[in-house]
Amino acid sequence: MAQERTDEELLAAYQQGDPGAFEALLRRHRAPLFTFLLRMLGERERAEDLAQETFLRIVKGAPAWEHRARFQTWLFTIARNLCVDQSRRDRFRRADSLDAQGPGDEPAMVDSVPGREIDPGRGAESARLRPVLQRALLSLPAEQREVFVLREQAGVPFREIAEIQCVNENTVKSRMRYALEGLRKALAAAGISEETAAEEPDPGVRLGRA
Amino acid sequence: MTHAESQELLLDLAYGELDAERAALVKSHLQGCAECQQEKAALDEVRRLAAPVRELEEPPPGFDDRILEAARAQAKLEHDGNVGQVIDVAGSFRPLGVEAARIDAHGPVKARPAERRRPRWVVRAAVGGSVAAAAALAMVVGNTLEARRNAEKAAAAPSEEYAIRVGPAAPTAVDAALRDAEAKRAEAPAQAPKTEAPPAPAPPPGLRQKEKTAQLGSAQRKAASPLAGRGEGSGGDAPAKLSKDVARSRNARTDDLKGNLETVRTREADRIASSPGASASGASAALESAPAAAGRAAVASPAMAASGYESSAQQARHAGNYLQAADLYRRAADARRQEKDPGSAAWNLAHAVECLSAAGRFDEGRQVRDELGRTYPSEATALSAARRALREVEPQPAVR
Repeated sequence: MAQERTDEELLAAYQQGDPGAFEALLRRHRAPLFTFLLRMLGERERAEDLAQETFLRIVKGAPAWEHRARFQTWLFTIARNLCVDQSRRDRFRRADSLDAQGPGDEPAMVDSVPGREIDPGRGAESARLRPVLQRALLSLPAEQREVFVLREQAGVPFREIAEIQCVNENTVKSRMRYALEGLRKALAAAGISEETAAEEPDPGVRLGRA
Repeated sequence: MTHAESQELLLDLAYGELDAERAALVKSHLQGCAECQQEKAALDEVRRLAAPVRELEEPPPGFDDRILEAARAQAKLEHDGNVGQVIDVAGSFRPLGVEAARIDAHGPVKARPAERRRPRWVVRAAVGGSVAAAAALAMVVGNTLEARRNAEKAAAAPSEEYAIRVGPAAPTAVDAALRDAEAKRAEAPAQAPKTEAPPAPAPPPGLRQKEKTAQLGSAQRKAASPLAGRGEGSGGDAPAKLSKDVARSRNARTDDLKGNLETVRTREADRIASSPGASASGASAALESAPAAAGRAAVASPAMAASGYESSAQQARHAGNYLQAADLYRRAADARRQEKDPGSAAWNLAHAVECLSAAGRFDEGRQVRDELGRTYPSEATALSAARRALREVEPQPAVR
């Protein structure tokens, strides 16, 4: 039954004291949120920590939540702010470190632990592509990466991304164009071309919402 | 549909965000327009290549446990009508401090509804001054960051009369879990190479409860923080000592604080003492008679990287030292401009405006806002944030 309720209905039910409703929300959003953070940060452990903190903040804020924006917008806003915060900390620390090196902002690559990203359940092609893609993603400026991942992976519409980033929709779309262009270049530089990709884009992928 | 309109809508088309009618219009334009066709094809190609981005990944087993535990605890808390911790606020308080907390750019934007509508189990406010301010401050408190900041602000406002009472401490699973999560995040080693000294509090200092960082020798402190070593002479040390004094006097004045808030605040005092940058902030708040010295110590080095300024500004802001935060943000903006990063520079100026507003310096805020508009005319969002900050805290009969 809970599956058919909207996020907002579930949250309202949780406000009324039904923990099961929250469990349903968590089940629905845990993978998309975790994946979003993973693509943003390129690091599993960090993504897990931030995803957990995001949900804890949701729990904390739930009693006073009002239905002004969609639950999904709230969720990704929190996650996104945690990312911003995190990257500032990292930047600060890097500046602090005596042996800091390399191009300032580039985070560690997800495939620095070989085989970690390989999932036998998925196509070998995709598994081969993913580290390259992740690297390309991490080479984008954070705002662009955020727009791209929110739209492409989490299925958040441009209008809501604008709310999440506190900018107007045109800015979001221009970030998206830059992101696509940046990705194209980065992938081309890594020798990834049209022939290697077999999958069709799935227009308008959405979160697993009812 | 014109070419320009079509160009605007190609992305919406690709992501299925157009209604049928407009989608048809764009498609019909596409048929006769080589440029749009090409653009659409390029867009589709990148999306095909990026397909693996869409594959969902599951968080590891056990991920849910803590969250669900917290969620159940919270539901029970409300259901039982347990009010948890209650802060009573008395006396007059600067409403602007509250505003500044509200406009914290890095807080969970949608997640501070407590200030918009108080939950139903809220709270008595003993009001002795500004009604609006007291009402805004009266809230159910967990040991969240917000709560801690408010407590910090209350403790750090020397010229104001205040009294804070916290009800019997009943730490909830939510609070405990969140605190852990935050601490973990604060402590999580950066991906960059680690620094040498193991007990060194990494800036920005996290919530290291166990480490008595305040007891570190000054040499260690200097090694621990980029700000300290570059301070002017003993400037790096003096504020740390001052802030300990501040912390002590705070202890004396807020005897009524009990339970968790106590430990949080003590921890915060340790944090302040352990970081010269932050300590200067703490000191400057308490010693408004000598703001210049404290300010000089905190912003001693012109070589400090922009991100260093930004972090320090953030700390100062969170500690309620808005003037200092504004100053640091402006320095950060200069540094960013030199780095040819107009976007960050503009946002730093916008934050400076927010902080100046929070400190009640509207004229200066407007000047910085004008500077922002003049220097970075294309950074419309930053400018509008600055405008919003000024308008929001314009002195007016405070009604939310």
